[in-house]
Amino acid sequence: MSRRSSEERSGWLFVLPFTISMTLFFVYAIVRTAFYSFTDYDLFKAPSFVGLSNYTALISDELFLIALRNTIGFSFIVTTVQTVLALALAALVNHAVRARGLIRTVFYLPSIMSSAAMTLIFLWLFQRDGLMTASVSAVLAYRRHILFFFAGLAALQGALVLNARRSYEGVSIFDPFFLLVAAAGALALAVVCALAGLLPVFDSDLLISWLNTQRHFLFMPVTLWSVALMNVFTTVPTLMLLFLAGLQSIPSALYDAAEIDGANAFQRFRHITVPALRPVTFAVVTMGVIGTLQMFDQVAILGDAAPFASRVTLAYYIYENAFPAGASARIGMASAAALVLGILTIAVVYVQKSVGVKERAE
Amino acid sequence: MLSRPARALAAATMLLGLPAFADETVRISGWGGSEVAIVHGLLTNVSAEKLAKEGITVKYEPVDGDFSQFILNGLSAGTAPDLFYVDVFWARSVFSAGQAAPVTQDASGFAANLLEAFTYDGKLYAIPKDFNTLAVHFNKDIFDDAGVAYPSDDDTWTTLQEKLVAVHKALPEVDGLCIVPEYARFGAFALSTGWTPFDGQGKTVLDERFRRAFDFYTGLVKSGAAVMAADAGQSWAGGCLASERAAIAIEGAWIISALRDSAPNMNLGTARMPKDPESGKRGNIVFTVGWTVNAASKVSKAAAKVAELLTTEEAQQWVLEQGLALPSRTALADNPWLRGGQPEQMASRVILEGLSDDHVAPYFFGDVGGSWMQPINAALNSVILGEADADTALASAQSAFDRMLAK
Repeated sequence: MSRRSSEERSGWLFVLPFTISMTLFFVYAIVRTAFYSFTDYDLFKAPSFVGLSNYTALISDELFLIALRNTIGFSFIVTTVQTVLALALAALVNHAVRARGLIRTVFYLPSIMSSAAMTLIFLWLFQRDGLMTASVSAVLAYRRHILFFFAGLAALQGALVLNARRSYEGVSIFDPFFLLVAAAGALALAVVCALAGLLPVFDSDLLISWLNTQRHFLFMPVTLWSVALMNVFTTVPTLMLLFLAGLQSIPSALYDAAEIDGANAFQRFRHITVPALRPVTFAVVTMGVIGTLQMFDQVAILGDAAPFASRVTLAYYIYENAFPAGASARIGMASAAALVLGILTIAVVYVQKSVGVKERAE
Repeated sequence: MLSRPARALAAATMLLGLPAFADETVRISGWGGSEVAIVHGLLTNVSAEKLAKEGITVKYEPVDGDFSQFILNGLSAGTAPDLFYVDVFWARSVFSAGQAAPVTQDASGFAANLLEAFTYDGKLYAIPKDFNTLAVHFNKDIFDDAGVAYPSDDDTWTTLQEKLVAVHKALPEVDGLCIVPEYARFGAFALSTGWTPFDGQGKTVLDERFRRAFDFYTGLVKSGAAVMAADAGQSWAGGCLASERAAIAIEGAWIISALRDSAPNMNLGTARMPKDPESGKRGNIVFTVGWTVNAASKVSKAAAKVAELLTTEEAQQWVLEQGLALPSRTALADNPWLRGGQPEQMASRVILEGLSDDHVAPYFFGDVGGSWMQPINAALNSVILGEADADTALASAQSAFDRMLAK
């Protein structure tokens, strides 16, 4: 009895620090936020109860609706793309035979930069006549060359593989050695044709507004597409590491058995790797959803580099209401919006869990 | 550093039985950057003796980062300094919250429109410490190379634009002006037409006069007179002037200290804002900062005294002669220093004259705050980028104002 109670006591002692910080910074903060969301409060005058009017004001505030739409669109796009890319990258890195450590390190590099520094670098890359625009104009200017190169590559590879299949069986259409030879050959051909002036270079005097624009593409402002690109670039490596850890734990016997049964690489990936990684995928998707729904720092650092409506997210909307430039704080509105964001996050994670990626492996 | 001699002096005067305040410590705060030099200079070079005589010790806490957030958080938590800067842009949020003590000293020596900017509900809540207006700063060498006449005080929008186009034609690698799609610069043009941000009923109406200024400003790029600052790789017009990418910049006196660092050898000239060719009038925006006493301060009398000492004629003359800021006291308007021939003296003179332009409005937008500018900034941006025509952009800006001000 005395031993059990002492165990119980130590148990309580162990959870005490976390309980205290949880109560203080989470439960108390939520209760306080919920209270403020029903009041009109400017940090100075005593909060006055206004019922649900902050919530009705939110629904009729065009900016809130824009922020909500932007946030959901951004979260959907970034979570999907980063999960798929991270999985693909992990599979690739896992297969790398040589310099595996180096490749992993190089791929991981973008994640060690602070997102503030990264945003500033991307501000430069995303200038109207910056590197991103230059890359797009280069592709457009040399589109014939690129087309010619790929046509040459396909033709050469096809010829090489067909030729080899006459003597050996089972030469893959993507045989890496032939691919290398074909690429070199196609490149040489393209260069010769270019030097001979057979391929036209198109003039392109492009100025692309990546950030400073009010245009939309599909359901989201172009600005947020650019931010999404940046976000994916910085988060994929961390998620890749999670997938890599998951990949290491898949028994190789499964792959061997499948290979004996005649499954090709894609089938092995689709029917062994993906299902076995499900718990990791669940974690990656959940973290992605939470992180993207609360995205704030990158759009905050963008500042005047992009129009407000093109970059506002829910988290930024909350901040703008708590500290509006040159006006009194609207803590009531900010609190109401913060609760909406919190509930939205929980709801999306729950929906994801019940209809999307499951927590357990099949 | 400073407090020790000050304290010693305070002790000495206390022995004589003179101090008005029994060794009180006043915490004061403002933002960082060049302001630190100004306040430190004032405290050590100009006011040290007087502060000591009064028995006041000043503890100066400059803040880098977002000062208005720092102050609002400090005020709501009860940790704010006794005396602090307020920018006219957000001063109202402090005044209306009852966090500022009304000014008790005689304020008649200060420029009337600066006092007006810090008046709320009929009471003055801050002593203006300095101010800024917009002016045309130009690189004389570029105009000489291009063989184009310098911008002058007689320029209208059109003659200035013609000069800028001529510069760009003669020197294709140089643009006339870098513009930003922001009311903080464009506003001076809109105001010169006689348009006002808020009409008699407190509504914002983008009328014919506004449209005229809007068309001129957004047409600057198309006419070859200007380029967007962002497209020149700069975040503000001063960056373009400093890097000799642009021949002129429309900015306030803050450009002088920026150029001192980034282009110390520039042959700088300054002219007043161009006139609206139709009305023949000039417009300008006034940016001003004042000292406000914390209403909850335990040493509010001493804090008010510090504010008074930091804005005396002598103090402002010292600041002016260091080329650090423009005086808010009218008595200094014809100070001999301002008649000097140095570029910064001339620039200061022109900025000072801007205060008496025909249509001057403070950089302040009532209870709505900075978000008032968003519809105009969005319209400027989309038209300059060619994403919308002026009719569509202004119609959506007008409806944004109607929704915003209906609340």
